[in-house]
Amino acid sequence: MSTQMIISVMSKDRTGIVADITGAVYELGGDLADLNQSTLGGYLTMILFATFDEDVSPDMLMQKIDAIDSPTTLDVVARTITTAPDPALSELPPKTYIMTTQGPNRKGLVYGVSSFCFEHDINILDLATTIKKDIYTMVLQLDLSRVESIVEVREALADYARDQGLQIVLQHHDLFKVTNEIPF
Amino acid sequence: MLRSDQILATVEMIQKENLDVRTVTMGINLLDCRASSIGQTCRNIEDRISERAGKFVETCNFVSRKLGIPVVNKRISITPISFVGAGFTRDDFVALAISLDRAAAGVGVDILGGFSAQVEKGLTMTDREYIHSLPEALRVSETVCASINIASSQKGINMDALAMLGPTIKEIAERTADQGGFGAAKFVVFCNQPGDNPFMAGAIHGVEEADTVLNVGVSGPGVIARSLEKLISAREADENGLKLDEIAEEIKQTTFRVTRCGELVGRQVSDILGVSFGVVDLSLAPTPTVGDSVGEILHILGVDAIGAPGSTAILAMLNDAVKKGGIFASKTVGGLSGAFIPVMEDAVLAEAVGKGDLCLEKLEAMTCVCSVGIDMVAIPGSVDGDTISAIIADEMALGMVNNKTTAVRIIPVPGKEVGESVSFGGLFGASPIMAVRNVGKSSRFIGWGGRIPAPVHSFKN
Repeated sequence: MSTQMIISVMSKDRTGIVADITGAVYELGGDLADLNQSTLGGYLTMILFATFDEDVSPDMLMQKIDAIDSPTTLDVVARTITTAPDPALSELPPKTYIMTTQGPNRKGLVYGVSSFCFEHDINILDLATTIKKDIYTMVLQLDLSRVESIVEVREALADYARDQGLQIVLQHHDLFKVTNEIPF
Repeated sequence: MLRSDQILATVEMIQKENLDVRTVTMGINLLDCRASSIGQTCRNIEDRISERAGKFVETCNFVSRKLGIPVVNKRISITPISFVGAGFTRDDFVALAISLDRAAAGVGVDILGGFSAQVEKGLTMTDREYIHSLPEALRVSETVCASINIASSQKGINMDALAMLGPTIKEIAERTADQGGFGAAKFVVFCNQPGDNPFMAGAIHGVEEADTVLNVGVSGPGVIARSLEKLISAREADENGLKLDEIAEEIKQTTFRVTRCGELVGRQVSDILGVSFGVVDLSLAPTPTVGDSVGEILHILGVDAIGAPGSTAILAMLNDAVKKGGIFASKTVGGLSGAFIPVMEDAVLAEAVGKGDLCLEKLEAMTCVCSVGIDMVAIPGSVDGDTISAIIADEMALGMVNNKTTAVRIIPVPGKEVGESVSFGGLFGASPIMAVRNVGKSSRFIGWGGRIPAPVHSFKN
């Protein structure tokens, strides 16, 4: 019986982490379905889906990874999941929007914006932030599928931006695709 | 996910650099609206426009809000009215203009174009009636724009029609003297007029088109100006220095992005309305808003006065780079597609007229390398009709010989002379009156009438 597993890894960044982790998965007969990794401030985080032909438990995988002679500490969490990942989920929903916010840096900016999203039933698909010359910029990829009125959200957002002293722009993802990608 | 810097670049284009979709124009065929009476024809036209365009403005606004990009103008173009009104009298044409005005207001568009005729080879009785109707038609209507094609590279220039137009333009201006001759800003004379141009005042729905078509005009002189300023300042310290080919490349890439936005909006609107998508018109159309000027780009690229030597060369490069970026970005390109230099609608060009930097002759030279022509130029109201006809003749000759569209939209402002200015407000802008030299010295030429034959299309050496 095959086993599906989701694995999350965090470590101080170095060369060879992806090779170490995927090597352990490979040696246990695992097939990688998807992998996502990013680095921030010299640390790496990675999330991956794997399917194992045989009955492999998260403990077996953890042992395999523990046995790696790694110069950095690998913090790993692995869980079996019962349903296979739906390929449709990896496609962006039609109501995918990009929100950018800019304003002077202070505590609680991400918390405030993400709370706004939560209150309006908006799911954050992706989020990146940068700080330059004390201006904090957030770029959020959002799913507005459960939002009934985009007009109302825009109005609420304009109020929020004014109250918080932020510049917030909400535009459809398509606009960014067409201005930055050449279709195949 | 897209990279954050790409996203921020796009946000900046829209928020800070005046990127918008300048116009979405719905072309509507009215040929089959002709009935046996003028009254029934008017009713048919109004029914047709309200049926086809009833949800047009609402849909454009919806797509604009959905995507988060402004769509500035929603307009309608129609089959040239002289075809629809074949056999009608000048009074009937005035009635048609009133009817079109009402139809446009009914569906909420700000301008309707296509009160037009095509007479590049000969004039029918209907065409003459149409021309005679223009002063009154443009006085009584608000939203209706008129245009006439009197020349083409294939047929030459119809000098009989041309001789009628100078005095007609004066008459149009005089009938709207209380608005500074504004009527003349709604009338444009063409050589090689395209049938799918979405920009006013020269938009028509050509007889070669399908029943209903959506064309989009993108713009963005402001976006290009800001991207060039950024490039120039980023490279100031560069020891190799910035060269013109790199500048052309920047214009090309910026136009690519601008065009893609226009195409996205146009296709989504046409999908929702179930109307076929026509073309994207890749034009740099300035507005009187500060920072949305083609003249400013010339300034940035190195001439300290608009009209100074070098202005034509810069404009040639700009025009070409815009086409190159846009053609790759869009599936279907058409219309005028080039940089516009409408003096009144471009604050920097208008200022250059006031300073005496930009004269009519230099403007004419600049129109050899860009679209559209002598556009939105206010001249003294005392200039005679034949001189106006002759200015048009020169511009038509440029288009005819160079196989390009050229046009003249000139406003002889009643009662005003050089040193004064005129303002129409809004998108039509304002400008000092431009001097016309050698007034009254072309009447013998205009008096000939007939046709200037089409140029040879071979022996290109």
